[in-house]
Amino acid sequence: MNPVTVILGVFPLAFAGYVLWLIYAVATSPIPLPYNFKSVLVRWRSTAATILGVALVVTVFILLHAMAAGLERSSANTGDPRNIMIVRKGSTAESSSVVMREQYKVIQYLPQIARDAQGRPIISADLVVIINLPRREGAGEANVTMRGVTPMGKELRPQVKLAQGRWFTPGKREAVVSMKMARRFADTDIGQKFRTGGNDLTVVGWFDGSDSAFDSEIWMDADEARSIFDRENYSSLLARLANTNDAPAFADRVESDKRMALRADFETKYYAEQTLTAMPIKILGSFLAVAMSIGAVFAAMNTMYAAVGARTREIGTLRVLGFRRRVILASFNLEGAILAGIGGVIGCALALLAQWLCVAFGVHFGTLSFNTFSEVIFQFRVTPLLVAEGMIFAIVVGVVGSFLPAIRAARLPVIAALKAM
Amino acid sequence: MTIGTFILKNALRNKRRATLSILSVAISLFLLVLLLVALREITLPVEGAGAELRVAVRNKISIANLLPAKQLPVIEKIPGVEAVTPFTWFGGKYKGEQGMTFAQFALDPKKLRGVFTEARMPAENYAAFENERDACIIGKITADKYKLKVGDKITLESTVYPVTMEFKIVGIYAGTPDDRNMLFRQDYLDESSGLKGQVGMWWLKVKSAEDMPKVIAAINKAFANTSAEVRAESERAFQLSFISMWGNIKLLVMLICSAVIFTLLLVSASTMSMAIRERFRELAILKAIGYRRRELFAFILAESFGLAAAGALIGVGGAYFLFTYGDVGKMTNGMFPSFEVTSRIVGIGALVASLLGIVASIMPSIAVAKMSVTDGLKTLD
Repeated sequence: MNPVTVILGVFPLAFAGYVLWLIYAVATSPIPLPYNFKSVLVRWRSTAATILGVALVVTVFILLHAMAAGLERSSANTGDPRNIMIVRKGSTAESSSVVMREQYKVIQYLPQIARDAQGRPIISADLVVIINLPRREGAGEANVTMRGVTPMGKELRPQVKLAQGRWFTPGKREAVVSMKMARRFADTDIGQKFRTGGNDLTVVGWFDGSDSAFDSEIWMDADEARSIFDRENYSSLLARLANTNDAPAFADRVESDKRMALRADFETKYYAEQTLTAMPIKILGSFLAVAMSIGAVFAAMNTMYAAVGARTREIGTLRVLGFRRRVILASFNLEGAILAGIGGVIGCALALLAQWLCVAFGVHFGTLSFNTFSEVIFQFRVTPLLVAEGMIFAIVVGVVGSFLPAIRAARLPVIAALKAM
Repeated sequence: MTIGTFILKNALRNKRRATLSILSVAISLFLLVLLLVALREITLPVEGAGAELRVAVRNKISIANLLPAKQLPVIEKIPGVEAVTPFTWFGGKYKGEQGMTFAQFALDPKKLRGVFTEARMPAENYAAFENERDACIIGKITADKYKLKVGDKITLESTVYPVTMEFKIVGIYAGTPDDRNMLFRQDYLDESSGLKGQVGMWWLKVKSAEDMPKVIAAINKAFANTSAEVRAESERAFQLSFISMWGNIKLLVMLICSAVIFTLLLVSASTMSMAIRERFRELAILKAIGYRRRELFAFILAESFGLAAAGALIGVGGAYFLFTYGDVGKMTNGMFPSFEVTSRIVGIGALVASLLGIVASIMPSIAVAKMSVTDGLKTLD
């Protein structure tokens, strides 16, 4: 086994064991809890500052990771488990993928594809083009994903629902914009026109993508898109299988085409793999959390050392009454852990509050996706796992920060402690 | 004992606490500098020496759409244009790596020196680049990262074109603001991909700064109402357009980070003022033997200021030395090639430290001012 994994595996176990021992030591030889509580209240200013410090470290940790989680969800949430997506082999985005028209003609009649009530195969050939649009209020421009879809495209993507207006009419220069994109980009209100590829497109409706990747798109008719953007071929195909067990056979058949190497895989898998954008934020979140927790540990140490110093006589008294050194140690160490734990709870509450406020006011964020090279819309997503991680983080800061002061308290000589002013 | 040594002795009386306070201030300020530098890097476009004379021309639809190669003679004829080269993003993955770690562009080797004037490379390497069809040159950062040298062959799988191509390294350049890119020949790309007649962008150099607006207007006009309308803009405007694409992320990260730095500073201030609160009795004695309030304020302020200054010295100074003499480009895997700590950022760090020193001394000063000597002497804590 790799020594690093051993250390990484052993450390949390040892830490958890130590915390359990602290609780055990205090529980079996109880120093009245009100004592600790009142002592804490006496030094409320520095205690409050320490708690606040831990709380904000936790908030930042959770919110940055919640941003990453939200970004990942915006694509991981996308797709229908019955659908197979076909793109050019080696392309990492639909916009840089090419599927030839002849290939589409062949693939659409493959027997594994499901058929609708009229007997037509349920497959859509899309053209995905990145277009540059001005933001609202003149705040610069950004890339947007424009998807040209064939009529089946809507049926294949039940996540996309019309919210206002109507769908585009095939053969007309009309577009339907994601509601969340429309709030961010100029000239995307229903009835307005925006210009791209030398043509004006009329916005006839807004759709809601149910927090999927489609929330970051503009849709129009595939053949109109091919004519506006002067493209002979399509970007990708999306097909529904009658039976998902046929997927390997279907993929083999599609990938055997020699004219242009294609790759066929489940739509859900394709989107789940698009996690590039969230990586830098995750790294930033972890880095900041570690760096800030060091600062928080120093602050906690200062507070706890001061607490020990102020309570020297009381510690001497406790020792005279028969409390063991390890109980003193556990008492102070646990006090630090509980203080930091309170900070952790406040931190989690703040992060959840931030998320709730964003949801309540319908605030969404947008940034450049490294996968599609266009704007992706996302929302904070505080997961239960993140809350748990934040709490563990807080308690680790508390235990580490109060460990040395607790040792000092436990080691105080009884007589000297009693003599202390 | 002078007043100076009195203050110093007081500050260092509890060495552990002084150290912890200084270190927590230092960490806060280190983080502050780090974030300010990182933010500056992503919001401020990198600029080379020749940037003010360079123009970038892209497809008006978006940068991800190609341009017809037949636009070249039209652009070359525009008065004021000195040199034009295609500049096509290859989007290649090296050695089966997950993501793209450095960018590759196809261009015209004969125009390279005319457009990207700041790249430094021996003349024979330029000659080799012009003569060998599968030649490529790479930036020094990438060369160092992968331990590549002249004569090596590299294979790249494009995510944009349906090709995997092999290149021979004929030179390693340095001196551009971002020495990471790999450059190769447009004609080699045309031939390998079989997609002749299309380029990603045009980059050109104008003869003088006065020509710039005229050239930009002329290019935009030349292709208006054609099937490939273009957007020509100065290099600076082009780079700035990328910054707008970051959207809200910059603001979000900034908000979160400033909240935390603010709190860490508050915590530091609280621990610093704790040191003074614990000395209430002594301050009361000083008051009793005739020291005036403003003298006591001076003691408190000097001590808290001193601690903050020491923290600033370690935090800001440490960041400065680490980022200036350490290789951040290597540490971040080439994400931040320069990572410059500007004097303005050092100034901000010093300002925050001074504010911290003052803020931390306010509460204890008020308490000292309000305290009566008898109460102060009674303080146990």
